Amino acid sequence: MNPQAGIDRLNTLMAAGARVSRSVAAILDLPLLLNRTVDIICDEFGFYYAGVFLVEATGQYAVLKAGRGEAGKTMIAEGHKLLIGGTSMIGDAIQQRAAHIAHDVGREALFFKNPHLPKTRSEMALPLIAGDEVIGALTVQSKQEAAFGDSDIAALQTMADQLAVAIQNARLHKQNADLLRQAERRARLLNAANKVGKEVTSVLSLDELLPMMVDTIVDAYGFYYAGIFLVDGSGQWAELRAGYGEAGAGMLKEKHKLEVGGNSMIGTCIRLNEARIALDVGEERAHFKNPHLPHTRSEMALPLPFGETVLGAVTVQSVEERAFTQDDITTLQTMADHLAVAIQNAYTLAALESAHAELLRTKVYEALTVATTEAIHWIGNKAVPISMTIHRLKDELAAGQPDLDSLREDLDLIAEASEMIVAVKEQLIGQAREQKPHPVLLEDVLRAAALDRGIRPASLGIEIAPESAFVVADSTQLARALGNLLQNAVEAKAQKITVSAKPDEKGTAVITIRDDGTGMTPDLLEKVWTPFYSTKGSGHTGLGLPAALHVVSQLQGSIQITSEPGRGTSVEIYLPAVAPAHTEPQGAPERIQLIDDNDAWARAFSASLGRRVIRENLPNPAADLIIIDEHLESARLDDVLAAVAAAGLGKKTLIVTAALNVDRMTRHLKTVRDVIIKPYTAEEYAQLWS
Amino acid sequence: MTTILLVDDERLVQRSIEKTLLRAGYDVLTASDCASGLEVFKSNAGSIDLAVFDLNMPGFDGLPKNAAGLDLLQKVLEVKPGLPAVVLTAYDEMGKAKESVNIGAKAYFVKGREQGLVELIQGILSGN
Repeated sequence: MNPQAGIDRLNTLMAAGARVSRSVAAILDLPLLLNRTVDIICDEFGFYYAGVFLVEATGQYAVLKAGRGEAGKTMIAEGHKLLIGGTSMIGDAIQQRAAHIAHDVGREALFFKNPHLPKTRSEMALPLIAGDEVIGALTVQSKQEAAFGDSDIAALQTMADQLAVAIQNARLHKQNADLLRQAERRARLLNAANKVGKEVTSVLSLDELLPMMVDTIVDAYGFYYAGIFLVDGSGQWAELRAGYGEAGAGMLKEKHKLEVGGNSMIGTCIRLNEARIALDVGEERAHFKNPHLPHTRSEMALPLPFGETVLGAVTVQSVEERAFTQDDITTLQTMADHLAVAIQNAYTLAALESAHAELLRTKVYEALTVATTEAIHWIGNKAVPISMTIHRLKDELAAGQPDLDSLREDLDLIAEASEMIVAVKEQLIGQAREQKPHPVLLEDVLRAAALDRGIRPASLGIEIAPESAFVVADSTQLARALGNLLQNAVEAKAQKITVSAKPDEKGTAVITIRDDGTGMTPDLLEKVWTPFYSTKGSGHTGLGLPAALHVVSQLQGSIQITSEPGRGTSVEIYLPAVAPAHTEPQGAPERIQLIDDNDAWARAFSASLGRRVIRENLPNPAADLIIIDEHLESARLDDVLAAVAAAGLGKKTLIVTAALNVDRMTRHLKTVRDVIIKPYTAEEYAQLWS
Repeated sequence: MTTILLVDDERLVQRSIEKTLLRAGYDVLTASDCASGLEVFKSNAGSIDLAVFDLNMPGFDGLPKNAAGLDLLQKVLEVKPGLPAVVLTAYDEMGKAKESVNIGAKAYFVKGREQGLVELIQGILSGN
């Protein structure tokens, strides 16, 4: 080779070396780096083959990591590796930390005849040295004999040195990336642990908590399956209570259970109160081969310990062998410990609930006993005069010539006592019940209730918020309940009774009846809901409040009472409120005469029907329909009805009532066409003329 | 004439017993609670020969009270020790009934067997 040609070749080689270095230095992905290197070496220098070997962890072998073309691919696939210090050029170069050149490989003893590279005639093996460490070797092969000169060696060794640095960089980068991934995974596990921590304190139902737990574990760790077993009442079996995915659903359906202390990992884990880990379940005898989980390769069973007892165990399974890191085991066991506390809490709650139910049964029984005793005393006190009077009557009749006045009084006594007994039913459940609660105007029902008890509505301080104007009720029943409460207030010598209604935060109407009467002691307050318990003497049944409670309960409402001796009593009723739709009343007659006070209902009715409504208190023959409110304050109903009868207008007269009373209705029906429960919404008005 | 003080808050019971006693030939004074019962008693202490008190009725404060009749009995016996008295009870108040005897009642009488009341009173008054 002439000197100029030698210099030119060196320049070319150096330039190619620099290009290789530039193009590979920035590659941080190791396989890509190595593949790119072998390609560039072959392309730039025109060599037949290049390959990169890296020393494996044990330091025994150099493993082919990248190779040019099909030959390289095939050898990598075969796991091609060479013994370090062995007879190969690569093994020797690594051992000697020096480049090794075979000018004619056919003659070199060190050369391992490679069937994949039949055309190789010269070969160079260059050690890859990073710092003090030989990390592998580069093989470069040519089809020409004696292809490599000193300049080639120098240029390629420089490149190999740079490649070694790049490999080291890529490895460091991978280590960093692995560390980062680990940190991220830890963060994810920590999040999962936090989530579990929150769930276990907030969810007390195991049927909700356990499925949530298996989902969280599988999602956070990326495992194949997780399941939770709980020890049954006998302590003999661990029953599957939650399982991930379809496999879990299948096993739950089969009521999958494992014997505590049995051969399974779960059974052993519970018996010994310690984690069991199988890193390759194929090799573990204790593993119960599960057809639902065919891909499981590693499995872990973690106990759920609470104090000295083990409540159950968590199984975690992975499709990878040796899937569990120390981090996994630690975090999962911590999670299992938390879960065990939550399970114990749920058990405690269940025990408390059962104790509470038992207590409630006892209380209900006691309350029933008290109520029954009161009822028996009450009835007994009514029956005593009957039996006694009958006995006396018999004696008197037997003695002859009974005193007629005394006899009459005795009969009255019997009649009165027996009527009180008969009246009980009506007082408790009322006379008439509508089929279905509907929107009623609270103020109107309240007025009717007051008037029925001889209380002037004007004397009550009524304050009703617009949102609570309409409640869903049966007006007759509600009037009875409200009437009982108003009457109680009057009988407690109230000077002032106020009734207010306003919505609570849920929109329910809260009706408060407050009085400044005598009030009640706490002892008395405890007994107010007991039927037949009365402080008001023999004329009272003690059914006023129980009846109100009954009515309000039937209307899906609730009632409570507070009282203080000397300061009065306050009753709160909660009833569903409603806002009726504004609709046009259909098919109304031209002239409707309304005989009513100027109250809330009359105003609403008149406003809805506009000019069709005539407001006069004397029956008008020109009206097509005469409507009279049964609860009148500004006129006497009897006078109005007498006028209707006198004018012969009964046939087109209707009485509307908020509180239907059968006796009154029977009487009114002698004069008017019908007595109708008051319609409260425009939609219902049509009942008056249909 | 023998006079009996009858205190019972149940109007019909009171009137019924009153009529039975009247028919048996006794004079009857009535009241319907502890306060008025004591008042009637004090106004007629000298002439009252026997007392019949209901066990449960309004007490001295006017509020219903279990065994208020025993309170009245004690007050009456303070004024007139040895006054024969009968306490009316219900069938399930035997404990209270026996207590009334300890306090000084001659007998208790379970309501519902009224035809026996006159015989009981006659027995007590004749010293049997």
